[in-house]
Amino acid sequence: MQGGSSGIGYGLKYQARCISDVKADKDHTSFLTGTLSLKEENEVHLLRLSSGGSELLCEGLFSHPNEIWDLASCPFDQRIFSTVFSTGDSFGAAVWQIPEPYGQSNSSTLECVASLDAHVGKINCVLWCPSGKSDKLISMDEQNLVLWSLDSSKQSAEVLYKESAGMRHSLSGGAWNPHDLNSVAATSESSIQFWDLRTMKKVNSIERAHVRNVNYNLKREHILVSADDESGIHIWDLRKAKVPVQELPGHTHWTWAVRCNPEYEELILSVGTDSAVNLWFASASSEKKTSESLVEASRLRVNPLLNSYTDYEDSVYGLAWSSREPWIFASLSYDGRVVIESVKPFLPRR
Amino acid sequence: MATEAAPMDEKAKRMRDLLSSFYAPDPSISTSGSSISASFDNINSTSFDADQYMDLMIKKSNLEVLLQRHVQMAAEIKNLDTDLQMLVYENYNKFISATDTIKRMKSNIFGMEGNMDQLLQKIMSVQSRSDGVNTSLFEKREHIEKLHRTRNLLRKVQFIYDLPARLQKCIKSETYGDAVRFYIGAMPILKVYGDTSFQDCRRASEEAIEIIIKNLQTKLFSDSESIQARAEAAVLLKQLDVPVDSLKDKLLEKLEQSLDGLQIKPEEASLLAEQNDSSNDAESNEQHPAKIHEDAVRGFSEAMRAYREIFPDSEERLFKLARALTAMHFENMDLYIRKRVSAADFLRIFRIIWEDVVLMDEVLPEAELSDLSAEAAQVTVKKFVARTFSHLEQDISDTILKFDINQKEAVEEEVLKVVLEASKKAGLQGTTDIFQDFRQLLDENIGIFVKMKDLIIGWIQNGFQDFFRSLEAQFLVLSGKTSSSKEIEGGLVEGKSSDKIHAGLILVLAQLSVFVEQKVIPRVSEEIAASFSGGNSQAFENGPAFIPGELCRVFHAASEKLLQHYIDTRTQKISVLLRKRFKTPNWVKHKEPREVHMYVDMFLHELEEVGKEVKQVLPQGTFRKHKRTDSNGSNTTTSSRSNTLHNDKMTRSNSQRARSQLFETHLAKLFKQKVEIFTKVEFTQESVVTTTVKLCLKSLQEYVRLQTFNRSGFQQIQLDIQFLKAPLKETVEDEAAIDFLLDEVIVAASERCLDVIPLEPPILDKLIQAKLAKSKEHNNNNNTVSS
Repeated sequence: MQGGSSGIGYGLKYQARCISDVKADKDHTSFLTGTLSLKEENEVHLLRLSSGGSELLCEGLFSHPNEIWDLASCPFDQRIFSTVFSTGDSFGAAVWQIPEPYGQSNSSTLECVASLDAHVGKINCVLWCPSGKSDKLISMDEQNLVLWSLDSSKQSAEVLYKESAGMRHSLSGGAWNPHDLNSVAATSESSIQFWDLRTMKKVNSIERAHVRNVNYNLKREHILVSADDESGIHIWDLRKAKVPVQELPGHTHWTWAVRCNPEYEELILSVGTDSAVNLWFASASSEKKTSESLVEASRLRVNPLLNSYTDYEDSVYGLAWSSREPWIFASLSYDGRVVIESVKPFLPRR
Repeated sequence: MATEAAPMDEKAKRMRDLLSSFYAPDPSISTSGSSISASFDNINSTSFDADQYMDLMIKKSNLEVLLQRHVQMAAEIKNLDTDLQMLVYENYNKFISATDTIKRMKSNIFGMEGNMDQLLQKIMSVQSRSDGVNTSLFEKREHIEKLHRTRNLLRKVQFIYDLPARLQKCIKSETYGDAVRFYIGAMPILKVYGDTSFQDCRRASEEAIEIIIKNLQTKLFSDSESIQARAEAAVLLKQLDVPVDSLKDKLLEKLEQSLDGLQIKPEEASLLAEQNDSSNDAESNEQHPAKIHEDAVRGFSEAMRAYREIFPDSEERLFKLARALTAMHFENMDLYIRKRVSAADFLRIFRIIWEDVVLMDEVLPEAELSDLSAEAAQVTVKKFVARTFSHLEQDISDTILKFDINQKEAVEEEVLKVVLEASKKAGLQGTTDIFQDFRQLLDENIGIFVKMKDLIIGWIQNGFQDFFRSLEAQFLVLSGKTSSSKEIEGGLVEGKSSDKIHAGLILVLAQLSVFVEQKVIPRVSEEIAASFSGGNSQAFENGPAFIPGELCRVFHAASEKLLQHYIDTRTQKISVLLRKRFKTPNWVKHKEPREVHMYVDMFLHELEEVGKEVKQVLPQGTFRKHKRTDSNGSNTTTSSRSNTLHNDKMTRSNSQRARSQLFETHLAKLFKQKVEIFTKVEFTQESVVTTTVKLCLKSLQEYVRLQTFNRSGFQQIQLDIQFLKAPLKETVEDEAAIDFLLDEVIVAASERCLDVIPLEPPILDKLIQAKLAKSKEHNNNNNTVSS
């Protein structure tokens, strides 16, 4: 829309909140996004970055029965993804399969692989097991945590465990630990909770109110990044979770989501309701506390903000790094605009 | 006459020449001058050749000249002859007179021998007479001498017999010095005859001496005696061959113990300084402690001087003692300044110490006390400077916190203002006081201070730098902003600090930072430039000294950070309110709106509070008017456009038209100038309030977006927002942005609504009026209750 934009844009028809990297697509840099429209026919768009990286093409357009509040691509099958949707007064979650062939851009219907229908309340998110092979899923509503086993061939999903977090903790989202597949972090009103999937028990928690989003650092074990409304972004070392390792100022208004780069451990992206995407450089490491690195850290702490992409018209809710080309990320603002940007100029020298 | 004189002269000259040639040992030298000029024709020369001369004359001259020459020559020869004759005669005369003299002498000596013989005889007779007298008196003299010796002996014996009694007397009169002298005088005799004749005597005197020794020792170790007297006693003991080393040890121990008395104990120090103050009126009557102390030290140094002379080998130990005393002084000083001490008191104590050191230094110059104390003084002064700064910091934060406590209970009228003013004053006054103190330090002309002047200036500059830095940190900690990073190390404090911090306090801190940046730092830098410049050489080596620019930056950043923090805490509070509002009801099954919801009141109340706080602390924006016209110029059109758009939307039928609606909003946004919601916050009342309102409305919008509404739910939101419009516009600077945001909320609600049918304007009006009436009534009630 504006000349200064370096990113590649793509407009959805309706408002939208969620975008997901298609991790299983090894040949292309693809993203899945779904619209959020209460009254219209909602759509799921499969977007693919052209080989030159200059265009964003719509590779598939599928109608989705309800407005999509969360969308996650299956890490091992590029055709499978999950959504959380709302009919207005009730929520549902399902796993979908993109029909074959999906080359045409005309709207075609999705095949429902399984309906994750063990919930009553407001469903927040569906998490895929980050191992990339396992067929485990977790779905979360405000009170419950449900672990599913997906059998895509039989087109069914089975509840393995269901555990209530209790009425008082209204869960709002979560992240599956990529370093420890038995651990899941869930955000609730007053804390970040850590669940052990073997026992389905809460094992640990970080007291922190109004955390909106958490994300594990894929490269560095024990490092978790959280975003909250009030005081921006915090980086935690889970081994000493009392105090954040580092604080980043976040956004002028709420910080909606944070994502650690899958390849460059220091890079963190955040999106916020101030219509901006911020790229941070967080060097804080709890492992090496040599004076040198501290000095460096203090130097960098002067301005950890590498860049702020402000070319958005509305609040930005959707954010995803490409796992195939880790310097590329997709962001989605509420007005349905997908913007692909490259952070290449800010990559740390190795 | 003249013609006669000339030949006479010539003659005399020749005579002289001749004589000199005769007497001169080397004729060549004496005649060298003339021989060159007239080698041949000079008749006086030794190389004169008569024949040659003749030949030359004959050849050169005519007859007349020759004749003339002949005559002249003949005359000269005659002259010479008479001269020689005269000389011979004169010599002869002299010889004759000499012979006569000799002859006379010979006749005079004759007859002297007889006299000499006579003299010899007489002398012989005198000698024999004197021998006779001598022999006749010899016996008597022997006798006298013997008597004299006996008498001496008797006197000594008498002395020794008297010795015990005398010693006793001495003991009685305590003139131990005399006693020792007597005893030592009698020692040789007692040693020789003590075992035989004077046994009793010796025993008695030894007993007496024992007593004396004992007395002396007790005197030596008694505290009541003056150190001088004890030193004398030590000398006497030493003379009495009492083992001195142990004595010395004991004595030095005593001296060491007396150090305790010389200490300036921290508790007494203030007394010392104080009384020194009032010494003017009570000078004569009472010895004030400072004087006592001075006397004590004087005594101490006197004793040291005495000991040094008595025990030359004890120097090391004395050095050690003196050093110990100095070190102790400075240690006590250190303790003393741990409490709050004014520079005047500090200097007073310091002066006393310095005097002590000087006193001791006079006695023991080798102990290098001045060096030692110079070092210690440096450390102490440095500490003093550092402490002064930390006290100031403490003062300021105390001022802030003191009021904070009251604040929680008391009516919040102007408390923030009071806090701000008080802490401003504390800051300014504190720095002024500090400057006064330091000026005193610099003006002090004790030698050591003069030496340290540069250092002190460096410390002060550094001190200010550090002070401001830590003040900034302190502000951040007080505001709870950095509690997580700093106080964790302290441990348990964290929980207490972060939650309970009053938002107003943060605002005060923010404004205070601005004050520090704009007033205090420039002032301090002026002061430093005026009276504390110089001494930079030292300071710059060790690191940067006072850099006002950097500090201003730091405080500027801090003030912005704090202001932001204030807004954050405020909006957080409201955000919690809104969150509750939107989480609790089921919006899809909302009932028809009957009245404006409670949360609006609470929201407005919070804003009011913000307004109150801001009014107390921050200055009013001076260009408010401008802003308004500005925004009117550029933005009202847009807002009115969105309004008309909105109204269009509202008046339309409730058919399915969400798509076009969305399209319209998009379109509207396309044409609309992007309203800057998140502008930079300024230090004005309006700016802060506006920012707070903006952030809250944005939150409201986001909360709305997360819900799904039924018709009634939407209408409720519509009603609430409509109600908010008027009071918000009153409080806020940037009306356009507020309009925009309020509209955005309604748009968001309509987007999230299943069945968009807005309330009819009359109903809306009616409900709002009802609410207004109710709140008015409520207020009235409150007023009546309070009055």
